[in-house]
Amino acid sequence: MKIRQIFLLFALVAMSSFSFATEGSNLHHEAQEQSSHKKPYEPKTLSQLASSFWETTGINAIIDTNDGEMTSDPAGEAKERPMGAFESSLGRIIMIAIVFLLFYLAIAKGFEPLLLLPIAFGGLLANIPLAHMAGPEGMLGVIYNMGIANEFFPLLIFMGVGAMTDFGPLLANPKTALLGGAAQFGIFGSLVGAVALGFDLQDASAISIIGGADGPTSIFIANRLAPDMLGAIAVAAYSYMALVPVIQPPIMRALTTKEEREIKMGVQRKVHRLEKLFFPIVVLMLSILILPESTPLIGAFAFGNFAKESGVIDRLSDTMQNSLINIVTIFLGLGVGSKLAADKFLVLESLGIMIIGLIAFGAGTAAGVLMAKIMNKFSKEPINPLIGAAGVSAVPMAARVVSKVGAEARPGNVLLMHAMGPNVAGVIGSAVAAGVLLSIFK
Amino acid sequence: MTEVNYIAEALKFMVLGMGVVFLFLVVLVQLIKLQASLIQKYFPDKAPITPIAPKIGSEDRDEEQRRVAAIIAAISEYSKNK
Repeated sequence: MKIRQIFLLFALVAMSSFSFATEGSNLHHEAQEQSSHKKPYEPKTLSQLASSFWETTGINAIIDTNDGEMTSDPAGEAKERPMGAFESSLGRIIMIAIVFLLFYLAIAKGFEPLLLLPIAFGGLLANIPLAHMAGPEGMLGVIYNMGIANEFFPLLIFMGVGAMTDFGPLLANPKTALLGGAAQFGIFGSLVGAVALGFDLQDASAISIIGGADGPTSIFIANRLAPDMLGAIAVAAYSYMALVPVIQPPIMRALTTKEEREIKMGVQRKVHRLEKLFFPIVVLMLSILILPESTPLIGAFAFGNFAKESGVIDRLSDTMQNSLINIVTIFLGLGVGSKLAADKFLVLESLGIMIIGLIAFGAGTAAGVLMAKIMNKFSKEPINPLIGAAGVSAVPMAARVVSKVGAEARPGNVLLMHAMGPNVAGVIGSAVAAGVLLSIFK
Repeated sequence: MTEVNYIAEALKFMVLGMGVVFLFLVVLVQLIKLQASLIQKYFPDKAPITPIAPKIGSEDRDEEQRRVAAIIAAISEYSKNK
């Protein structure tokens, strides 16, 4: 440690062995009696002070790989272990570089900044040496234990999304809901892929849910089926959601012809207010009968939507879709980001998760588009196959992407409302798929 | 213990999962249609509010009224989509 020696030498030469004899030691004694666990203070030379200060600097923590620093885990000491040489040095630097890349994507490219920015900043904080922010007493660890480890935040997000969602487009053209079902092929197709890669069935199920493109659902499932992989799964799910505008369009263009992309869709019928009011109840009843496992998600979603459509508790529904979901988004982002710590994220599994997640996402998009092509063949009214891509449930990002690609093919062709149908059906579909996976491993 | 073919297991999950998702959504679609027809039957949409205009009478006003109705419909459609 050359730097350290130079530093020490400097300190030594400058003030050779000063000793700070403590004055006011009476005061000190009293304080000691009050808190008996406090270590008795021993006089230190300035050089000792300087060297112990050096030990606590971040520079030293990164350079000195054998300092026995522990990893931090919100679950407490039971899950902590000494950091490896790579994790505490180069790994951290790599993760911080990744975090900066995420900042760039969020700010300059505008990819879901609401999610990406808090996650990335959480990742930055989690990689700070010695501060143990992701530990049970650190800020990130507290947030994590408060709402992610017990699946609370994902449900609150679902509530808010329910309160924001207008089911009108789905009610006006109900058969587009099937597109939201087809896109769930991404989940089950990549489940097979993950098993082929060597993940066990339970882990594979947790990973493949990324294909539903639904952050809250992914967290919910990962928590139940593979809590150790939650971080990588959540990060993969949210980063792919953020990358919807990058991942989806090439797949959509590859699977459709120009004529298909140019298809115009008719005007949607007007939806009666009562239809919208009853819809969340119908969905909830159906899921109670078929799949109670999925009711935590669908229940929260239905509550949010019912609050909105009832029209009598606008104050509450306004809170759900604005202030509450904003607060939870901050917490969720930081909490998920805490799993971007080098010791958690830079493992081979994460790479597998990222790859399978990408495949899952692509397969979901492709299945939705293909299903829409088939429906277009058999349907009386024309269906633009592009709207199938919105079947992955990233609301409303996927629908916006569909609209954009549609407008590229034929300027003035607005598919947004038509794409919202499969989009919101995708949310229901992925919650159902999640319920099926949970029921298998019950 | 017999050797378990995990890929075959995963394929079975896929059949079950996609089956349930589609079953759920097909039933949902049917329920939505049923609900829509019931609501249309028992709670038909109130007749669209006719634009307030001078009493219907003279035939030469008919054209004028239709124009006003179209303008109001366009404005309400526009402000709804905002």
